[in-house]
Amino acid sequence: MLSSAKHNKINHSAFSISSSSSSSSTTSASASSTSSSLGQNKSQVTMEEVWKEFNLGSLHYHRQVNIGHEPMLKNQNPNYSIFQDFLNMPLNNQQPPQPPSSSSIVTALYGSPLPLPPPATVLSLNSGVGFKFLDNTDSLVASNPNSFEESASFGCFAKKRGQFSDESRGDRRHKRMIKNRESAARSRARKQAYTNELELEIAHLQTENARLERQYEQLKMAEATQHQVNKTLQRSSTAPF
Amino acid sequence: MIRAETKTQSKTKKQEQLIQKPPVCLRLKMSTTVRDPLIVSRVVGDVLDPFNRSISLRVTYGQREVTNGLDLRPSQVQNKPRVEIGGEDLRNFYTLVMVDPDVPSPSNPHLREYLHWLVTDIPATTGTSFGNEIVCYENPSPSAGIHRVVMILFRQLGRQTVYAPGWRQNFNTREFAEIYNLGLPVAAVFFNCQRESGCGGRRT
Repeated sequence: MLSSAKHNKINHSAFSISSSSSSSSTTSASASSTSSSLGQNKSQVTMEEVWKEFNLGSLHYHRQVNIGHEPMLKNQNPNYSIFQDFLNMPLNNQQPPQPPSSSSIVTALYGSPLPLPPPATVLSLNSGVGFKFLDNTDSLVASNPNSFEESASFGCFAKKRGQFSDESRGDRRHKRMIKNRESAARSRARKQAYTNELELEIAHLQTENARLERQYEQLKMAEATQHQVNKTLQRSSTAPF
Repeated sequence: MIRAETKTQSKTKKQEQLIQKPPVCLRLKMSTTVRDPLIVSRVVGDVLDPFNRSISLRVTYGQREVTNGLDLRPSQVQNKPRVEIGGEDLRNFYTLVMVDPDVPSPSNPHLREYLHWLVTDIPATTGTSFGNEIVCYENPSPSAGIHRVVMILFRQLGRQTVYAPGWRQNFNTREFAEIYNLGLPVAAVFFNCQRESGCGGRRT
């Protein structure tokens, strides 16, 4: 089934894999992947649409890379960049950029650690999914569409075999830890963003205040000089004669 | 990249009709640079590409003016806010997009982004009440986690017909801007929203 799936469009193969796997989360993920395909009909997305997404994503990816963001931004790009990595990597280089230390994963990620996301889902989900794919099934990471299906199915097989053993327990703990780290990073980013905003507000208000004070002083001085001129009595036109 | 301005530069600015937003990369007295909240919070990154602010954008819910990272609850954002935009020429039209990129939950945002509000043909110096409400305002009411809710202002090339998307979820602001030739945003602001009984991200 897999070899025939290779000839099919990526999406079709993804759906066939997800339907074959017993994992309920995968099927729910595939269900979400159908709805998550950008505004298309609920039926299977065509290859053209999938590739259109890639092109858009690669545009954004390239734009962002050229601007020279911190390295973490690469990981944090929308899903596309991770998938793009897979596709752009030539066949000789099987491993995409290795997930570095966990700390950099933390800072980069707001992802969802879905177990075994089908390739189509990687498109529309956030970077975390793609990244999770990297991290979780690191040995299975694909650099081309074909190995995607293989790795996805390999994950399925692993699930079917040694279930609920120490392996999965550690796995779950690992995922939980990563999720917690992402959440902590988000929380720190949130706090930092708000603090920065307040600092900027303060600076702005201070300059504004200084400017207005100076303006007030100037106006006050101008008014004072005018008063001095008007002290002398003057004949006005209301006199009766 | 976001424009950097020094304190001295902002002091010598002439008085403008509308108060310009503060420079977003500012050297404070201790000569530490404060990074733009839009970048720190990953709004630039997840939703938008880096841009330069050029138009002022004031969003007010009731009496509260929205500053980046402000914490609002669903009860405070029930009704559509008052939006005032800057610019000078009434012949320029702007589009306002309001999205939530953290749906259904920030740790699993597979429905990113959720379109809450879409108003087009807003003339400069006016507000959303003068524009064309393509997608009516839906108040944010997240159930899981703390969501960022972003309001983005684009400049239109001219008056244009914008078609509402079929559904609110899985909206893509970048794509939307590309389809309608809106280019990079001219202003953006975001706030955080969590469910009414949320702990505010603090457990103790």
